[in-house]
Amino acid sequence: MIELTDLYKSFVVKDKKARAKRRIEAVRGISLTVQPGEIYGLLGPNGAGKSTTLRMIAGLMRPDHGRIEICGVDTQTRPEQARALVGYLSTDISVYHRFTPRELLKLFGEFQGVEARVAERRGMHLLDQLGLADFVDVRMEGFSGGQKQKVSIARALLHDPRAVIFDEPTTGLDVLTAKTVLDLLRVMKAEGRSVVVSTHVMPMVEAICDRVGIIFDGVLHGDAPPREILARWGVATLDEVFFKLAAGEGGGA
Amino acid sequence: MKGALLILKKEFLELSKDRRTLFFTFVMPLILYPLMFGMIGGLGSNDAAARAAKPSRICLEDPSRVLGAALASDSGHFQIVPRPEGDLRQAILNQKLELFLEVDPAGAEKLARNETLSLRAVYDNSDESSKLALDRLQGQLKQQETRWVQARLKSLGASPELAVPARLETVAAGDMGRFMGKLIGSFLPYLLMIMMYAGAMQHGIYATAGEKERGTLLSLLSTSLPRTQIILGKLLYIFSIGILSALVNLLSMAFSVGRLMASGGASGAQAQDAATGLAALATPHVLGLTFLLMVPLGLFFANFILLGGIQARNTLEASTALTPGIFVVVLLGVFSMAPGIEKMVFLPYVPVLNVSLAIRKLFSQQANAGEYLVALTMTVGLAGVMTWISTRMLNRESALFKV
Repeated sequence: MIELTDLYKSFVVKDKKARAKRRIEAVRGISLTVQPGEIYGLLGPNGAGKSTTLRMIAGLMRPDHGRIEICGVDTQTRPEQARALVGYLSTDISVYHRFTPRELLKLFGEFQGVEARVAERRGMHLLDQLGLADFVDVRMEGFSGGQKQKVSIARALLHDPRAVIFDEPTTGLDVLTAKTVLDLLRVMKAEGRSVVVSTHVMPMVEAICDRVGIIFDGVLHGDAPPREILARWGVATLDEVFFKLAAGEGGGA
Repeated sequence: MKGALLILKKEFLELSKDRRTLFFTFVMPLILYPLMFGMIGGLGSNDAAARAAKPSRICLEDPSRVLGAALASDSGHFQIVPRPEGDLRQAILNQKLELFLEVDPAGAEKLARNETLSLRAVYDNSDESSKLALDRLQGQLKQQETRWVQARLKSLGASPELAVPARLETVAAGDMGRFMGKLIGSFLPYLLMIMMYAGAMQHGIYATAGEKERGTLLSLLSTSLPRTQIILGKLLYIFSIGILSALVNLLSMAFSVGRLMASGGASGAQAQDAATGLAALATPHVLGLTFLLMVPLGLFFANFILLGGIQARNTLEASTALTPGIFVVVLLGVFSMAPGIEKMVFLPYVPVLNVSLAIRKLFSQQANAGEYLVALTMTVGLAGVMTWISTRMLNRESALFKV
């Protein structure tokens, strides 16, 4: 289970026009809970605070205020233990290109404290599930974006995490690869993991998410099943919710 | 520490997959120095040998024939050539001859009257052959002068020994080992510093700003490895590369210099002496103490590279930030090579430079235990403080997520 309580996060940025430093409130008072076996969709425009929220859940950033617990482990007081429970996939499609997928997974297995034999078995199973079985011993230099993303997913899931955090996992992928990723997310859900996914792809949200939250200007709006969100806002698509939020209509919150 | 060693393993594994970088880091110096020193030595010794084997072409204007016979009889060193057409200086610059010697026309009469004989030599001071001709002439003239003085003394009924009132015999107290030690000690710290910094810099950038640029740093940070272990692992990697790079370069250079000396860069006896001297220097004690100083110094440089790399947004920015460091190291190195710096009383207390001084003294067999310990302690302290700063910096989100 993932529990976020009253999270706040701000950054100091240089405002070149004003020639001064400015504090930006990226996340403002976000609270939510993701149950085991649930897929939570985090939506919002660019710069809304989605990636910052996901990075805080993954233990990469510390909140200024608030609390995050992964299966009861506090990410601030026990960061290493909390990170061991999380499988995180960032927006960057990037891998250590000099390695083969097998070598990369072996190494990350060691980083995560997974026994070599178990890491090998689980890694090969994941690569097989993702359709990369024929490429396990090929250096990743020439891999396509989709292939790299699949290896990154296998890397994120290698240590059998209870919480899965995927930041825009289908961005830049073709339809077939995107479907493979969605199928895997369904498997994660079936295995009882708590999954948080951020995306711009609305059909994906409607297809796999049990609940969604819309972040706008660092504030969470919604936090309900997709159909309920649509009903609350009185619109037919989630895109329209975005437009209403951009127009300053906060009625659905 | 297990996490740091795992990161170190990952970095070396990555490096081992890049054959080109491996070649340029570890194999290239092994080829480059022998090739470079071989070429320089070969060209230099061939040129010197060719000059020594040839007599110097001298145009002699000596109407009273006071020197002609002596020079002509030494055909191994002198070849008397006719005066060339046109401008004499230009003929020397055009290498048609090496030297022009003009003897006073009334030379014989002057010598007979026990007066001073005047001579004028024209040569090219930018040309080695011309300078050799002058050296040879001066040698020949010195012998001739002694003969003239002895003849004058004899004609006056005095002892010819009056011409040589004193004879100096020199005995070198230091051996060739001490000489070589001073020589090596003056430039070794410079080489060590340059090689450790420059050798580790690009690898350090690849492992820090490069990871950020390629987007792989997040995957590393999202593992359960503590961040301090990640930074220590990267630090260990940069440090190891710096040390390895310096050692490979030094070994290759030492081998090349050794070969150069053995192949005739120095005369047989000199080469033998130098080799004995080098062997006397390279005791496990001197090498061990030098290595002990290199460790904290390498760690200090590694920290500097790590800080620059992590603070940068990308490899270009890191490279731009760290390149001036090379000039600082070169400056420090040049200063440490300067003659007489070992006499500066404050130098043992100046960080980094005191390491140069200690190595210099180790190799010239003038090591001072107190100064050595000060240098070691200060450098260890400096490296420790830098490591503390680096680990704190990596934990800062502003450094890690700078985009």
